[in-house]
Amino acid sequence: MLKIDKLHKSYKMGDSSLHVLKGINLNVNKGEMVAIMGSSGSGKSTLLNIIGILDELDSGEYTLDGIEIKDLTEKKAAQYRNKFLGFVFQSFNLINFKNALENVALPLYYQGLKRKERQEKAMFHLEKVGLADWAKHLPNELSGGQKQRVAIARALAAEPKLLLADEPTGNLDSKSGHEIMNILDDLHRGGNTIILVTHEDDIAQRAHRVIRLLDGEITEDLKIKSK
Amino acid sequence: MILLFLENCKISLSSVFANKTRSLLTALGIIIGVLSVTLMGTLISGLDRSFESSMSWLGKDILYVSRYQWFSDMEWWEVRNRPRMLPEYVEKIKKRSKYALAVAPVMQRGASLSYKEKKTRTEIFGTSEDYMQTISTDIASGRFFTKNEDRSGSRVTVIGDGIREAFFGNQDPIGKYIKIDEIKFRVIGVLEKQGKFLGLFSIDKQAVLPLGAYKRIFSRRGWMRLSVKIPYEKLDEGLDEVTSVMRHIRGLKPNEENDFAINQTKAFEKQYTTLKIAIGGTGIFITLLSLVVGGIGIMNIMFVSVKERTREIGVRKAIGATSGMIMGQFLMEAVAICLFAGSIGILFAYSFSFVINMFFPSTLPIGLAIAAMLMSLIVGVISGLIPSYRAAKLDPIDSLRYE
Repeated sequence: MLKIDKLHKSYKMGDSSLHVLKGINLNVNKGEMVAIMGSSGSGKSTLLNIIGILDELDSGEYTLDGIEIKDLTEKKAAQYRNKFLGFVFQSFNLINFKNALENVALPLYYQGLKRKERQEKAMFHLEKVGLADWAKHLPNELSGGQKQRVAIARALAAEPKLLLADEPTGNLDSKSGHEIMNILDDLHRGGNTIILVTHEDDIAQRAHRVIRLLDGEITEDLKIKSK
Repeated sequence: MILLFLENCKISLSSVFANKTRSLLTALGIIIGVLSVTLMGTLISGLDRSFESSMSWLGKDILYVSRYQWFSDMEWWEVRNRPRMLPEYVEKIKKRSKYALAVAPVMQRGASLSYKEKKTRTEIFGTSEDYMQTISTDIASGRFFTKNEDRSGSRVTVIGDGIREAFFGNQDPIGKYIKIDEIKFRVIGVLEKQGKFLGLFSIDKQAVLPLGAYKRIFSRRGWMRLSVKIPYEKLDEGLDEVTSVMRHIRGLKPNEENDFAINQTKAFEKQYTTLKIAIGGTGIFITLLSLVVGGIGIMNIMFVSVKERTREIGVRKAIGATSGMIMGQFLMEAVAICLFAGSIGILFAYSFSFVINMFFPSTLPIGLAIAAMLMSLIVGVISGLIPSYRAAKLDPIDSLRYE
């Protein structure tokens, strides 16, 4: 599903350069739920950005579902993001002047789907996260947990191959956090491939596999048997 | 395609409406710009119309011979020192000119008219039976006076439609007697309804009497002009000929200047064109100024909007919006504000045009309204271009991190 080989990435910081990722090798199979852990500065966000085709790698190889992700034009990158990837952010990032349904329908709008089709699909995914009754509500009328559920529905709307969640429970109380994790669990059981970044151990423990990053290198790759 | 465009408009408007007050304030410049250009157009169209009808009342094929040159800067005493027009010129011009189809002497003064207890003040004209040929109005009912009635000094009058309405309402005025400055005149005809001259005064409030009676009763030595009708296609030749006939009548030597003036409606047209250019120029200046100011305002607000919505842009990009789509979105928003403002401006202009209509008939020219909308669209595109380019070029990672 996802294959990363000898990935290097560094950032220019004035005169010096900061080597953030130092030879990452990572394979994720279809249907896996992987948690990436690491302290801040470990490079986990950079890795997620590269996996999310928001950032480019310096050297190495990255293939997503058999397609090599390299030297993409901006337009192509945007199209791949739209087709292959679903993003869930820590701070939800819903568009505040659009209601829940419109937010969920947004990726479909960028696919050029007709309005009716968009709304039907969006409604379907809203129902999946249990928020069908809240479709016409604006984000500021929703609780944090509800917002994140809308964000998950949005990430799923385009039926992506890979779901990327960046600290999805970071801004939530533990109860809502567990609700969100339950939804991700359900999605995982339903066959979705999920990569989530977290620094909370109990969240990571609910994944199928835990990868620890330290200073730009993978120090641990642990399959959790109980799952 | 059109559906997609409309949908994009709707989506853009939704974010415009998310900031109502700000959008409205920004739009003010465009509103004023569109308002001023359409109002100017309305005004000019109204002026055109009333000018046309006024000119047709004066008659494009008429030469007005008098002491005074229209719109000239001659001193009043110079005019006053010139010899008067005399009634005998009429026959002389008729005899010597081959272009003159009709020559009518016209004397004019203010007078008070009354019928029973109704009273009004108006202009009275003393003229000959040729008068009807020198105006474009017809007789609505009754008849005009004859040469004999003129010679014999008969006290008959042809009244304007305004007088008929004021005095007689639905009654038939023919044969009734009205008093002009306390002297009884018999109404023998009514002129057609005319409207207002240049929107200023009603030409329906007038009474026309035979010159014979006019001179005997009101003034022997008043101000007089001669209206000479010339075939329209021979106007220039006619002007030359009448000028030389007049010079001959006055016995002027070749080196002497004219001591009379021959006026044409062309003089009005020239004056009117100047006025139109002045109104149009002012309107266009105000329009351009407010459009530039409005455009800068919109550009500014779009910059603020892009800054404020950096995160939104990041999200949209992460979700799959290409740079082109982001650019299109923000451009559409700028255009939407401008088109919205343009519509408000036209709406205002439309209501104002009713007020203008109360003074003289006018309509908002549709072509100009469309042009104004097009103009606001262009302002929208121009002022939205740089901000939306900036939005399109934002880095998604940085934008998502933006607080």
